[in-house]
Amino acid sequence: MAGVGNVEGSASILASGPFSTVARSQYRALAEMRWSMFRNSLRTTKGALELGARTVAFAFYTVMGLGMAAGFGGGAYAIAAGGKWEFLPALFWVLFVMWQVVPVTLASFQEHFDMGGLLRFPVSFGAFYLLHLIFGLVDASTMMGGLCCAGIWIGLAIARPDLWAWVGLTLVLFAAFSILLVRAISAWLDRWLAQRRTREIVGALFFVGLLSMQLLNPAYWSSEKYPYMSAHTRAVGVRVLGRVNAMQRWLPPGLAAVELQRSAGSQAMPAMEGVSLLGIYVLGIGGVLGVRLRGEYRGENFGEAPARKRAERRSRSWLLDGSGPFAAVLEKEARVLMRAMPLIYGLATPLLMVFLLAGMFIHHGAAARHASAFSWLVSLAYAMVGFTQFFYNNLGPEGAGIQLLFLSPTPMRTIMLAKNLFHSILFVVDAILVCILASVRLGLPSPAAMAATAAWALFALPVYLAAGNLFSLRLPYRMNLGRITRQRGSQASALFSVGAGTFAACSFFGNLWMAVPILLALAFVAIIAWKKGIDKIDAMAARRSESLLAALVRAE
Amino acid sequence: METAAIQTRGLTRRFGELTAVDDVTFSVAQGQFFGFLGPNGAGKSTTIKMLTGLLEPSAGAIEILGQPFAAGSLDLKRQIGVVPEGMALFGRLTAPEYLRFVGRMYGLDRETANQRTDELLDFMQLSNETRKLVTDFSHGMQKKLALAAAVIHGPKVLFLDEPFEGVDAIAAGMLKAMLQRMISRGVTIFLTTHVLEIVERLCSHVAIISQGRLVANGSLDELRTGVASSLPGLEQGQRLTLEQIFLSIVGAAGQESAQELSWLA
Repeated sequence: MAGVGNVEGSASILASGPFSTVARSQYRALAEMRWSMFRNSLRTTKGALELGARTVAFAFYTVMGLGMAAGFGGGAYAIAAGGKWEFLPALFWVLFVMWQVVPVTLASFQEHFDMGGLLRFPVSFGAFYLLHLIFGLVDASTMMGGLCCAGIWIGLAIARPDLWAWVGLTLVLFAAFSILLVRAISAWLDRWLAQRRTREIVGALFFVGLLSMQLLNPAYWSSEKYPYMSAHTRAVGVRVLGRVNAMQRWLPPGLAAVELQRSAGSQAMPAMEGVSLLGIYVLGIGGVLGVRLRGEYRGENFGEAPARKRAERRSRSWLLDGSGPFAAVLEKEARVLMRAMPLIYGLATPLLMVFLLAGMFIHHGAAARHASAFSWLVSLAYAMVGFTQFFYNNLGPEGAGIQLLFLSPTPMRTIMLAKNLFHSILFVVDAILVCILASVRLGLPSPAAMAATAAWALFALPVYLAAGNLFSLRLPYRMNLGRITRQRGSQASALFSVGAGTFAACSFFGNLWMAVPILLALAFVAIIAWKKGIDKIDAMAARRSESLLAALVRAE
Repeated sequence: METAAIQTRGLTRRFGELTAVDDVTFSVAQGQFFGFLGPNGAGKSTTIKMLTGLLEPSAGAIEILGQPFAAGSLDLKRQIGVVPEGMALFGRLTAPEYLRFVGRMYGLDRETANQRTDELLDFMQLSNETRKLVTDFSHGMQKKLALAAAVIHGPKVLFLDEPFEGVDAIAAGMLKAMLQRMISRGVTIFLTTHVLEIVERLCSHVAIISQGRLVANGSLDELRTGVASSLPGLEQGQRLTLEQIFLSIVGAAGQESAQELSWLA
């Protein structure tokens, strides 16, 4: 690190504070290192695209933050101008919860800067603490929280200009507490999420939570004809809320709001007490963070704590009893799938969404009793979206293991055949489930529609597989099985268009059965195309081996 | 004359303007422990990738066990084992699952693959980690697993790219013993490593590549003799270490004074 070598003796370095000459030179070196990393990342197209994506994300969060700030500001103004100070705690609590929850939900998708890496340098604890805080400041939650605090300050200051300084002081303390608490929580979470398994669990819980929230709306509307709460339940609820309200006044968000309420009522002494207590909270949470960071500074690494030993159990040969490379690839694919949350999520989400979206049509009278000819077709096309990453990047999950596929005496054709078969089985299972779900929600379509949909699936599957094999060899990318990515649905849309067009044309002529031979003929052509493609796969793989290995073996 | 286990003629690999491996010709006899050395970026891994079919040569020919070798030579691939640079592991499998998979990919039946898997896990001292995913293994454990995978099908030629990197001393000792046993049974081993002591102890023949060109090739004694004659200050009877030979050949000898750092105590 620049300048460190000029200082004599490590003892003096360790004794130096967070604002000493050495610490400042370390901050500069760190900033330069980060800048160099950023600049070097722009050398590649991927880096430039990432910068573009981050710029868009930053602009998005800024606009979102400004919108929220306007909302909080407006709310604060309305409360102060209307003299309804008792509602101010709600505003602070909403902001507080948002401040704490946003980084937790984003954590499993973000790359983390490992502060532990700094420990090999002579960085003082003060500098380590400060750097930890600074690295946490440039995130969406702090940015949005800061903007919302500014919004509240402006709103209150306009309504009560006499309180601007007092409001400012309170909001600074409140913001400091929120930032320190976020950092204290993330100091644990960062370590915890450093473990692959916990990171996946958090990611999965987040998405389950997200999907569960989608169920709230149907649940709400389906129960609208029933009374929400009995009188007794309401009375209990009010009593509990009263107790909660009494308690929240002693916690930082409530305390900040109550202290402002007191200052608005010219109660100087109680307000001073409130500010002092808020200051104690800030110092307290700063101390808690310090205890955690002190542990890290001394070399403790929570993330690498040894996992509890499980009872040894022999692995079961549960899937296929066959030998040979074909069965081996099938078995491997199944094992990898069951341990890759993003792949399972990709398969399961369309099922849930079909179930939910189908529910939207139940309320529209006729559709409830007479399922549309398109109901299975639309549902299947949507379910197919979940297979995009299976089909179009079927070598992506191999990572460095792709080398073995090239090193082994197994032809790539065998490997691709096994993968295609595995994905086809999955698709058939998914398709059956989707059709059952759609039928439960919307009723059975006509036999002609069912037959035509089956014929369409026979056409769509080989097209998907053939195109997928081609794309997998030509445009592979290393898939991070610990991270959930968006699906691309363009191909499914194109295939759906073929099916929908045929359905519509045949319906126009009054005979949907006509669609069956047409789609079966297309399916025949598609199967031949897939077969021709798979027969050429070895030659293609040999030609593309270098770029495949470069794309998949490369470290993330 | 016995067929060479590995034979290259004019092996060349270009990446655009850069010639990573330039007209390399050498031969490795069957049952030989062959050390392939070179400084960083000399072309060792590129050569090993070409020899194992992971990279197509721009020019030249490769023969393995007397037969022309290319990426599609499946019969030959059954007879070679490789620990490549990236280790070729599947992170989402456990060690037994991975070894069984590799065994079956190399044509072993399930029973044999299972039996050898258990033996290899015991041998590599990985039998206590059968529930752990490979992605959660330490680097050294991954190396041991990659080596186990390279030998599960009983190859006749073994290519090892830095196999001892990150492996602890106990395991390294066991691996060396295992490799020596393989040599005594007629297996040919092609080893690249930066640990010259290992090469000196294990290898009977050594080739050195520098800037893509083969600059030395022969038995250790041949290399010693060749280098000794070119070193003026050498005392009579002094036995050169491989490190001295290596530094002398790749041109790094005598640069100590130039590389001194004036400010370093």
